[in-house]
Amino acid sequence: MSAASHNAPVSPPDAPCAHCGLPVGPHPVGDDPYFCCTGCALVYETLQAAGFGETYYRLRDVSPASAPACPVSTEADPLLLSELDSETFLAEHTRLGDDGTRATDLFLDGVHCAACVWLVERLPFELDGVLEARLDLPRARLSVRWDPARVRLSEVAAWLARVGYQAHPARTEPGGKRTEAERRLLVKMGVSWALAGNVMLLALAFYTGLDLTREPGLARAARWLSLLLALPAVVYGGSEFFRRAWASVRRAARIRSLRHLHMDTPIALGILVGFGHSAWATVTGRGDVWFDSITVLIAALLTARWLQLRSRRLAGDATDRLLALIPTMVRRVDRGGSVAVVHAAALHPGDLVETPPGEVIPVDGIVEEGTSRVNNAVLTGESRPEAVAPGATVTAGATNLSAPLRIRVQAAGEDTRVGRLLAWVRDAATRRAPVVLMADRVGGYFVLGVLTLALLTAALWLYLNPASAPLHVVALLVITCPCALGMATPLAMAVAAGKAARAGIFIKSDEATEQLTTIDCVVLDKTGTVTEGALSLVDFEGDPEALDLAAALERHSNHPLAAALVRARARPGFDLEAWMTSGLEAVAGKGIQGFVDGRAVAVGRPDWIAALTSPCPAASIQALAAYAARGLTPVAVAVDGRMAATLAFGDRIREDAKDILDGLKGSGKTIYLLSGDHPGVVRAVAETLGIAPERALGGVGPEEKRAFIERLRNDGRTVAMVGDGVNDAAALQAADAGIAVHGGSTASLVAADVFMTRNGLRPLADLFAGAERVMRVIRRNLGLSLAYNLAGATAAMAGLVSPLVAAVAMPISSLVVVVSSMAQRSFIPRPGDEAAGTDTLENHRKRAA
Amino acid sequence: MNVLFLLVPVALLLASAGVAAFLWAARSGQFDDVETPAVRMLIDDENELPPAPRTKPSNE
Repeated sequence: MSAASHNAPVSPPDAPCAHCGLPVGPHPVGDDPYFCCTGCALVYETLQAAGFGETYYRLRDVSPASAPACPVSTEADPLLLSELDSETFLAEHTRLGDDGTRATDLFLDGVHCAACVWLVERLPFELDGVLEARLDLPRARLSVRWDPARVRLSEVAAWLARVGYQAHPARTEPGGKRTEAERRLLVKMGVSWALAGNVMLLALAFYTGLDLTREPGLARAARWLSLLLALPAVVYGGSEFFRRAWASVRRAARIRSLRHLHMDTPIALGILVGFGHSAWATVTGRGDVWFDSITVLIAALLTARWLQLRSRRLAGDATDRLLALIPTMVRRVDRGGSVAVVHAAALHPGDLVETPPGEVIPVDGIVEEGTSRVNNAVLTGESRPEAVAPGATVTAGATNLSAPLRIRVQAAGEDTRVGRLLAWVRDAATRRAPVVLMADRVGGYFVLGVLTLALLTAALWLYLNPASAPLHVVALLVITCPCALGMATPLAMAVAAGKAARAGIFIKSDEATEQLTTIDCVVLDKTGTVTEGALSLVDFEGDPEALDLAAALERHSNHPLAAALVRARARPGFDLEAWMTSGLEAVAGKGIQGFVDGRAVAVGRPDWIAALTSPCPAASIQALAAYAARGLTPVAVAVDGRMAATLAFGDRIREDAKDILDGLKGSGKTIYLLSGDHPGVVRAVAETLGIAPERALGGVGPEEKRAFIERLRNDGRTVAMVGDGVNDAAALQAADAGIAVHGGSTASLVAADVFMTRNGLRPLADLFAGAERVMRVIRRNLGLSLAYNLAGATAAMAGLVSPLVAAVAMPISSLVVVVSSMAQRSFIPRPGDEAAGTDTLENHRKRAA
Repeated sequence: MNVLFLLVPVALLLASAGVAAFLWAARSGQFDDVETPAVRMLIDDENELPPAPRTKPSNE
């Protein structure tokens, strides 16, 4: 990825793109330096022309990338630009400063290293009126402050697009609740550590010999000071645990079940008893104080909580970011025929909107004017573009591919199919019963066990030495306060989430991680999951040279099949441009014909080609019939009036799909294949992958997918749904674990519990393996800490625990858990995985277009 | 040993100064992003220099 120099000894297709560093493939743009796409080439030139090139590429080469590089595009979406300047946007999503400046946050696509930070933060020097630009690299979030009198936000976005970063407004309220909660917990944790540190220093004096009999004044002062310092630690720092413990006690009392007491209950109990006893000892001047153990316990537990919260930020951000991609501005055609850009909320049924090719259709409606093809992959999962003409129905979320369309609005915004699905997902998310985590399940029994032991201790010491009984009971309650137990889960989860994110797997909740290990049913969506999600040449029969001739002809067509053929024939040393073509004639709905190097070539629908040629060879007829049975799109090629080759186009199965599915089956999971595609296609794919035909269903709509998942769950199965596309959103939400694979659309990522930014099914296998490992680490942690508590309880019952013993033993037990969590090997990417295909939504769109 | 009655409060005062600094840093968002500053130090501080030439160099 580092070699960008002009004299790199590699040549296409392995040469790295001079801008983004990805292999350029067989069709590089430009000739040494090579680029993977025109976007990268444009950005490279812009940077060189502005004098930025040298610093940018030097920085890029010396700094490690925080995210995979990706090809870029330099065109900013005009609709987005107009939205950025609208009054509504400024009012809702920007902060107005005292000095009349405005500030907002933008998500940037494609920032990945130090060079990006440098380039983006040059904004104030390049655009007059931009006062401040700070980039948060891991979250790809730019905070920008500008003077609205001198520059508009759209100009900022356009500048960013020119240097290769697409900006999307973070349409959350400025500041963000998540950041606030994180900061609050961080402050709590910092203050608790400061208090704990000082209490520990004072406690050190006691442990090294300060005592009440020899130096009464100093000792009393030290105790009172410890009390004063511990009080805010308990009240402010400990409130986190008291609040949750109280809630769980109330719930347990209502349901009359001890099982609903979670881990915070014994923690709160230990803190309260320890603090209460120490405070009493300070006031009366008799007995031990445990202030140091308690304050350290609070601080350590808060640290684990904070780490856990922080580890979720990347996954949470990604959801925000994807919501930011939904178009909110539309082009409305007014009565006079003029086009105005308005907010989607201002649309009414019956309005007319215009959608140029390449843009996402913003409404559900009926085509009024224009003939084009639309890609419904996001909505229906069907990757084949669909032809639309006046009178056809189109739905929001589909991409218009070839020609401008005017659409009569039937539903807009929340009322569209996509909007309703998103709303359903949102509601369902709040309805779903929470999963009780393993650590919390232990909580109730833990409380019960500790209380029993406390009674036993009391009874034992009342019999042996009544005066010291309370002392030993308190010692027991303090030493068994489950510090390590409380950290066992959050720490292991936090470390695992961080490692997973680095491997391109984003897990939104701990519940999901735990659920993943109990899955016994995996339901796969076909399009884009087990297949590549784009048309490609799957099979052919006949003369390979005819394919090259056909590709030379198809180079002049903008049909998606044509592009797939050109891609398929591309190879080093073969230049399509070298073929002379003439007399081109495209026959609508049939194909294209013309002359290539003087030979008459026709490519198109088999029946059309068959009519042009005579007689049709038996091999071709057989091949065509076989393609049809497999659900592939057949195409025929005629050269010099003779049927020369038959081609089959389809959505190719990912190379590693079979191995990975076999692995999943090997671990006892049942695999189902559901798809909106033609049943024949689905059957063929299932056969290739070794999935039983009765478990492969085609022609399944979004609602049926959800119903299917629910049926499986009612049968007592734990179901994971793997999919992309809005059509899968409901099913992802209904499943025990919804997994969105990349190339996935907005709605599916919002609905999913887990999503991945790496291509293919490999991350899916990594995910299941990783979740297993995390749960093993958690079980190990729980075991270690329970063993510690058991030992502590025994020692306390024997009367061996003093404040000094507690002060040494408690941190050591926590440390063991910390080390065990940090050392886990979950989600470690295999070597070479980074090189595997990475993908962005942007690329997906480009492919779809 | 009585000097401790003076030293401990002084130490606590220093500690509270540290806590105050931490509160300020946390509230002003300095811990929100701890990764970007690490790469930012790679960037030479060239902003005081006149802006980079913006005309296209005559390479063709």
